[in-house]
Amino acid sequence: MRASATGLIASLTLVLAACSGGTTDPADPAGSTDASDATSGTASGGTLVYATGDAEPTCLDPHVGGNYPQALLASQVLEPLLQRDAEGTITPGLAQEWEVSEDGLTLTLTLAERTFTDGTPVDAEAVAANIAHLQDPDTGSSTGYLAVAKVSEVEAADERTAVLHLSEPDAALLESLTQPWTAIQSPAGLERGMEENCLAPIGTGPFVVAGWTPQQQVDLVRNEDYVPAGADAPQPAALDAITWRFVPDAATRHAALISGEVHVIDNPQPDQIVAAQADEAITHLDAPRPGSVNRIELNGGQAPFDDVAVREAFIRAAGPNPGIETLFAGVAERSYSPLASVEPTAISDPDLFGTDLEAAAALLDEAGWSETDAEGYRTRDGERLTVRFPVSTNQSVAAEQSLFQQIQANAAQVGFEVILEPMDLGSWYAALGANEYEAVSAPYTKVGPDVLRILYHSDSIEPAPSGYFANHAQLDDPALDALLEEASATQDEAARADLMAQAQEIVLASYSILPLYDQQNHFLVRGAQGVTAAGGVSTPSFASATLG
Amino acid sequence: MTTLLLRRALALLGRALLVVWVTATVVFLALRAAGGDPVEAVLGGPGSQAGPEAVAAAREQYGLDLPLWQQYLRQMWAVATLDLGDSYARRTPVATLIGDQLAATAVLAISALVLAWLLALAVTLVAAPAAASTRPGAAGWLARGAAGVLRGGEIVASVLPHFLLGALLVVIFAVDLGWFPATSTPGSVLGLVLPTVTLAVPLAGFLGQLLAEGLVEAERAPFATTARARGGTRVGVLLRHTLRHAATPTVALTGWAFGFLISGAVVVEVLFARPGLGRLLVDATLQRDVPVVIGGVVVIAVAYVLLTVVVEVVEALLDPRLRRTRSAAAGAARAGTTQGSAT
Repeated sequence: MRASATGLIASLTLVLAACSGGTTDPADPAGSTDASDATSGTASGGTLVYATGDAEPTCLDPHVGGNYPQALLASQVLEPLLQRDAEGTITPGLAQEWEVSEDGLTLTLTLAERTFTDGTPVDAEAVAANIAHLQDPDTGSSTGYLAVAKVSEVEAADERTAVLHLSEPDAALLESLTQPWTAIQSPAGLERGMEENCLAPIGTGPFVVAGWTPQQQVDLVRNEDYVPAGADAPQPAALDAITWRFVPDAATRHAALISGEVHVIDNPQPDQIVAAQADEAITHLDAPRPGSVNRIELNGGQAPFDDVAVREAFIRAAGPNPGIETLFAGVAERSYSPLASVEPTAISDPDLFGTDLEAAAALLDEAGWSETDAEGYRTRDGERLTVRFPVSTNQSVAAEQSLFQQIQANAAQVGFEVILEPMDLGSWYAALGANEYEAVSAPYTKVGPDVLRILYHSDSIEPAPSGYFANHAQLDDPALDALLEEASATQDEAARADLMAQAQEIVLASYSILPLYDQQNHFLVRGAQGVTAAGGVSTPSFASATLG
Repeated sequence: MTTLLLRRALALLGRALLVVWVTATVVFLALRAAGGDPVEAVLGGPGSQAGPEAVAAAREQYGLDLPLWQQYLRQMWAVATLDLGDSYARRTPVATLIGDQLAATAVLAISALVLAWLLALAVTLVAAPAAASTRPGAAGWLARGAAGVLRGGEIVASVLPHFLLGALLVVIFAVDLGWFPATSTPGSVLGLVLPTVTLAVPLAGFLGQLLAEGLVEAERAPFATTARARGGTRVGVLLRHTLRHAATPTVALTGWAFGFLISGAVVVEVLFARPGLGRLLVDATLQRDVPVVIGGVVVIAVAYVLLTVVVEVVEALLDPRLRRTRSAAAGAARAGTTQGSAT
């Protein structure tokens, strides 16, 4: 009863605020009726309302599972051991110093003096408990589990020194420890059991989970004792609270932003971003995700793409540029690299991706696809040149699906029959697992170039026990494997970058992928300042945000 | 008398059990046929790259390592014993998850049903006399024309897709006018307005057409002629006699309307970011969270059966004939219903 009354008051306040024309405060969306800010001279921090279009997590602890929607929310509450800046340099997180041994088999972390929001200290035992939690099969971790797979033992040398012993060198470990999926939680919190910890994980971040109403919102309140990385005294956020709402429909999210119901939205559509750029009241935050780019991968594991000439023909015919420019209204820049533009070690090769229909046709003729059937598609030995392209409607935005249709039409000009098959995520993974695809577009977010090893090492053709495999291109190249393994083992950053560059050249020259653009990660802000995108995977940060 | 009641109650129970069993079975098979491995739901969603131990542990915990027929039997036994089990994805009891969302959807569906009936009745009360206007000249033409517009409006309303209507309402009433919020939280009366209207308008279009059809039929009936012959005015006869007669098949269709409301609630709840059973089912289906989907569908099936009972009672109240020769008249009424719904 009380909850509904509060809701009523909140919506009344909201509508009154909206009706008042928005000259003062376009929205006090949570209807926070704190009397304090009216009497005292200094304005209260207020409640910021965030509307996310990403799926609602089933568990707020990012150790469990480990996907981007969890990262978005977890990075408000939890902090990782390390962080990474815009230049790709590793910077302090909960660990203020770190040292990798010469043989690459030990990582010594010196912890900053921090306290979890339940009052317990961040110590070496806590680090050990968190790694153990990630590695425990009962946790069901996927992303975090992969990140710390090579950690064999965590030794608590003293209260503030945690020594990670590795089974083999892992050059990606520092980057992996910047990800929200390996963030450090209070051991006491973890001990409460999964059910309780999923509802409100306990960390050291600028905010604390105060409540979760499924399918509606998560309520976050300020952590009064928050100490930012590198600082030594508490600097709590200005905001009193964040209301984290789940608003799946993009048009509704945008309407809520425009009408002042919410302050920040993610996953805006390209036309909404363009409109926002012309609107002084709205700030656009473009924060591409690290790791891989959005790309079309061609399945080299079976006909017809087991022939490099046919792959090249497809890529020469695809011609995605006009589509990217128009459908994404200029907000997505064409990529010619397997890695995101924010990865310092990314290399590009636009020459490999020029559109040339004549060359494509000649390549197909040479490859034996020289006949044409009644519908205009090429055939070889009576078999049609067909490309099954399952599209996950949960992972591809409307603009991208339209782009795929344009590519379908372009490829048809040289005789490819591209069958676009829109499906839900579960069916999509099932189609990949059953090898029922010739082309596919799959996002992958990971900090650092090590994502190449996950996506293109031949080991990744072998499905994980859950049926998932990451190497959709089914690249099976011993030279590439060797480079990726060497890069993983080397401690020399320059050498690693060089190895990764060579690996990218092999991937690009194999015509196994058609890079499209960075993983789109945009935020629109209205009625708030100081919202930044940070953290290893470009999640928004509200540590220094204010309303007004 | 008591044996008759008992027999009716048993028949009803049997029907209810059959409906629940069939729907649960169909859902179980459909979810498996759709592809994707339910263990992924346990491990943080499709495509999880959990280690072999984690996968094995999850399979064992939820019995996913058993042969399919055993999983089916376990699931059916769970439903039979009213223990809907735990959600794969959220690891919380399904009953709790559904319980938390049920009220929100019920409020939305009931308010939409009430609004749809009010709209349909209002349009009918205005349009029916106007359409039958015998006034000479321009006034008559105008009245009949207005009735035609209203009838046309009903047809347009009945074919309006929820997502389109909802989006239009958001643009006009949330963004431009700022009267109502674009998103709807339970407990907020203003937030309920746009979702309710979105759900009610197409339904009102259907109900209105049915009412109009029933009225035409009723006006030709002897009792209407008699009533008019006794000097009843057209509106008086409409209110006192024909409308009541015309409403019977429309009420019978409320069971069908319930299905319409639930499927509409899925769209409306997603569109207005409103919690509810529809959204829960969408999410659970995408995740292959079998216990949640089956639990949700079973709850809807039970609600449907209960609603059918309520509808039969209301029908009987509206039509005294049904009270006397219950079985024969019910059959006839249902035959009429089928006829109505085919149009």
